[in-house]
Amino acid sequence: MITKEKEKVVETTVVGRRLNRLDGPDKVTGKFVYGADLSAPGLLHCKVFRSTIPHGRIKRLDISKALAYPGVRTVITAEDIPSNIRYGHTLKDEIVFARDYVRYYGEAIAALAADTREIAEKALKLIDIEYEPLPVITDPEEALKPDAPLLHPDWRDYKGNPALIRYDNVCAHTSINTGDVEKAFAEADYVFEDRYTSHMVHQGYLEARAGMAHIEADGMVVITSSTQNPFGLLGNLSDILQLPTSKIRVISSGVGGGFGGKLDLGVEHFVALLARKTGRPVKYLWDREEEMKAAAPREGSVIYVKTGIMKDGTIIARQGKVILDAGAYSGDDTVIASVGAMLVRGPYNIPNLKVDSMAVYTNKANCGAYRGPSAPQTYYAIESHLDSIASKLNFDKVELRRLNALKDGDMGPTGQILDSVCMQETLTKAAEKIGMDQPRPKYTGRGLACAIWTSAGGSSCAYVQLNDDGTVVLITGGKEIGTGAMTMGVAQIVAEEMGIDITDVRLITGDTYATPYDFGAQGGRTTFNVGNAARIAAQDAKRQLFESVSEKLNVPVERLNLKNKQVYDSDNPAKNISLAEFAADRVWNGGPIIGRGSFIIQPTEYDTSTIKGGTYPVFNFPSFHTHAAEVEVDPDTGEVTVKRFVVAQDVGFAINPTGVEGQLTGGAVQGIGYALSEEIVYKDGVVLNPNMTDYKMPTIMDVPRIETIIVESPSKGGPYGAKGVGEAPIILPAAAIANAVADAIGVYIHELPITAEKVLRALKEKEEKK
Amino acid sequence: MTKVPLTLKVNGGDYQVEVEPHRMLLDVLREELGFTGTKESCREGECGVCTVLLDNKTINSCLLPAVAARGKEITTVEAIADRHHLHPIQKAFVDCHGVQCGFCTPGFIMSTKALLEENNDPTEEEIRNYLAGNLCRCTGYNGIVDAVLQAASELRKLNKV
Repeated sequence: MITKEKEKVVETTVVGRRLNRLDGPDKVTGKFVYGADLSAPGLLHCKVFRSTIPHGRIKRLDISKALAYPGVRTVITAEDIPSNIRYGHTLKDEIVFARDYVRYYGEAIAALAADTREIAEKALKLIDIEYEPLPVITDPEEALKPDAPLLHPDWRDYKGNPALIRYDNVCAHTSINTGDVEKAFAEADYVFEDRYTSHMVHQGYLEARAGMAHIEADGMVVITSSTQNPFGLLGNLSDILQLPTSKIRVISSGVGGGFGGKLDLGVEHFVALLARKTGRPVKYLWDREEEMKAAAPREGSVIYVKTGIMKDGTIIARQGKVILDAGAYSGDDTVIASVGAMLVRGPYNIPNLKVDSMAVYTNKANCGAYRGPSAPQTYYAIESHLDSIASKLNFDKVELRRLNALKDGDMGPTGQILDSVCMQETLTKAAEKIGMDQPRPKYTGRGLACAIWTSAGGSSCAYVQLNDDGTVVLITGGKEIGTGAMTMGVAQIVAEEMGIDITDVRLITGDTYATPYDFGAQGGRTTFNVGNAARIAAQDAKRQLFESVSEKLNVPVERLNLKNKQVYDSDNPAKNISLAEFAADRVWNGGPIIGRGSFIIQPTEYDTSTIKGGTYPVFNFPSFHTHAAEVEVDPDTGEVTVKRFVVAQDVGFAINPTGVEGQLTGGAVQGIGYALSEEIVYKDGVVLNPNMTDYKMPTIMDVPRIETIIVESPSKGGPYGAKGVGEAPIILPAAAIANAVADAIGVYIHELPITAEKVLRALKEKEEKK
Repeated sequence: MTKVPLTLKVNGGDYQVEVEPHRMLLDVLREELGFTGTKESCREGECGVCTVLLDNKTINSCLLPAVAARGKEITTVEAIADRHHLHPIQKAFVDCHGVQCGFCTPGFIMSTKALLEENNDPTEEEIRNYLAGNLCRCTGYNGIVDAVLQAASELRKLNKV
């Protein structure tokens, strides 16, 4: 494999290859241990009592019958938590248990620990509660009205990141302003404006949230759970448990899918509190109903977008309003509002921009991070809008995008200078592959959509230890959650640097006591950030190795090389020593070798005057994307079938093309579910479909074979030129499918998901207009 | 509730347990017998992660009372590989990246085994039809279809020898 990295040609033997993931054998034999599989002697089982109404005052709460039930060891409520404790990442507005008021259907009110799960479930039914119902706000636009009741009358007292702009029911408001949109709209040949709505969806990981805690004799709280972000939990746990972070240890077990849904507290605070109260280990495994009504879903949204365009197709102005339905507490939507603001301009060079993006409190589950937060709905809105403009003005849909696409040296929405831009290449390849210019039968449509996307920053650390048999252990707080980022990507990087096979790398990961810091498996950052840290650690180990071998073989360090598990003199390769031989001796002479690496992305420069209330002001090493869909619409039923789906993604450099393709295909199918079938359905604040039959995730029968195109436009910051990969594949399917449906039936659907019912209604309305 | 004594035949061995009549096979396998390779998720037959074989036919073990498995051969993912080698189906799932988080994988492997015993040369469409009871959220299914095709091909070769 030859890769261009930082304009240097690097020859590689392990990175760039299609190697099998290291955890594969354990996973196919059933030996791999997930949070849901954890057990311990004397284990108690937790269940959480949750609100059955969306908004109300708690008039009476009686736990006495549950507490008296045989086998119940304790019941805890808000009474057991100091009343001043509120937690959260950027805004501390969340509480462990509802106190006096419930603000959403499914909000935790009490937790109990019992000898068996069955006892816990029975005892839950014995908790007595009486509410005084309060008016329910489920529409974020209603919540924005000046006379709307305040969901958090005390919002001013909540502690938060000082960069956040907050008022009334708005927990975050980010605005971006460049150029002069009003003037540009006045000068534009055409101005178009549209409104789009999107829905709440669940990450759909198959292992429900799960974890266990026990307390050590000195009071140390030890939590093992299927978290994506062990270090990221410490701050909130410290607030809730009133302990320094050093008295809390979080270990990430095997993770059965996360997609952002297991970044924040789910089970950990409950089991820790119950373990402390009972002195026994306590486990909590969510059931599917809890997942659907009280996890950390993707927020619904209302998005307004307005575009000023010239006769030649040049887009000169864009205005957008993104209203995110954050739910009862801010969750992650404070940051997500900021990300959404960055996306409204899309992957186009539009000089005049005005964006307002708001996260708004309503009486729904508080929303969290889900793969590509805010992006699927924002791209659906702006790319469907642009597509409809192309239709109205009779522009070619590919050429209009190509004309306005970002290029090297263009600015991002907040003034960052973009490089490694390959928007056009992904567009050309995807359009060609789907056959945008080819004829199609009636009720068959093709559509595409384009995007720019980021990868999360944050720091990562790693140690690389040379074992006495010449293999290595990589020790890092980074975590494999299924993507292959650790067990393919990062392991390959370490193997490459150390001149060994991927199977010679063992991983110790995700333990806040035993491994060095990592910012968590999120934002497509693991291969990029942990990969860089691990690479630095491996290079450090190699430096120590060469210094030692230099003395041993009496060869200057500069002449030493490491390949095929051997250090050798490049002038005289016969003079060599195997890693195994060296390492076995080194244990007793000089001590084992351990390299260390610490990495943080250098901040990208941007124009701070362009953005207000922004906690995510730049794209980190952005990547570029085009998705294209071919759909068939049944005119009698309105049903949409995705016949073909093409993903063209810029990945910088594919450390493992198979792993990359796995992200592209998996993300695309989640995106297809988002576009067509998945929805957490609320009626008057109550979830109507809290199960996997009525929440329709795509099965293997519902989707075609996803076609992938890997585009490699190397980044300056990623290992071997890699960019973040995992998040982006979910952000465009809804846009591409909406455009393909419009191509098939001549109507743009403005409301996700694009169900058969909505398509049929659109067809009928079109018929009536004739 | 009164427990009933029960002999279960799991992966070729006999196991004596005492269980409540309503206890599901999934829970007995995981909690009483330690066969945690079979996974638990929806507990209502929607997702397929708890798929095991009962007399060589796939069932959702979350829906079957353990007492109803009396006298039948139960096969779980733990019995697919021999002690030293992955079964060709398991190897194919690893080779074709049909595994990401892996939580659905044991269920898919059991369903694939049943499929390939009925049909040793399935088309992609037949594979998609047969496996529709197993959800996967990570792979987008490309890798799973490829794995089944590879496994079928390998097994046909082995059976010819």
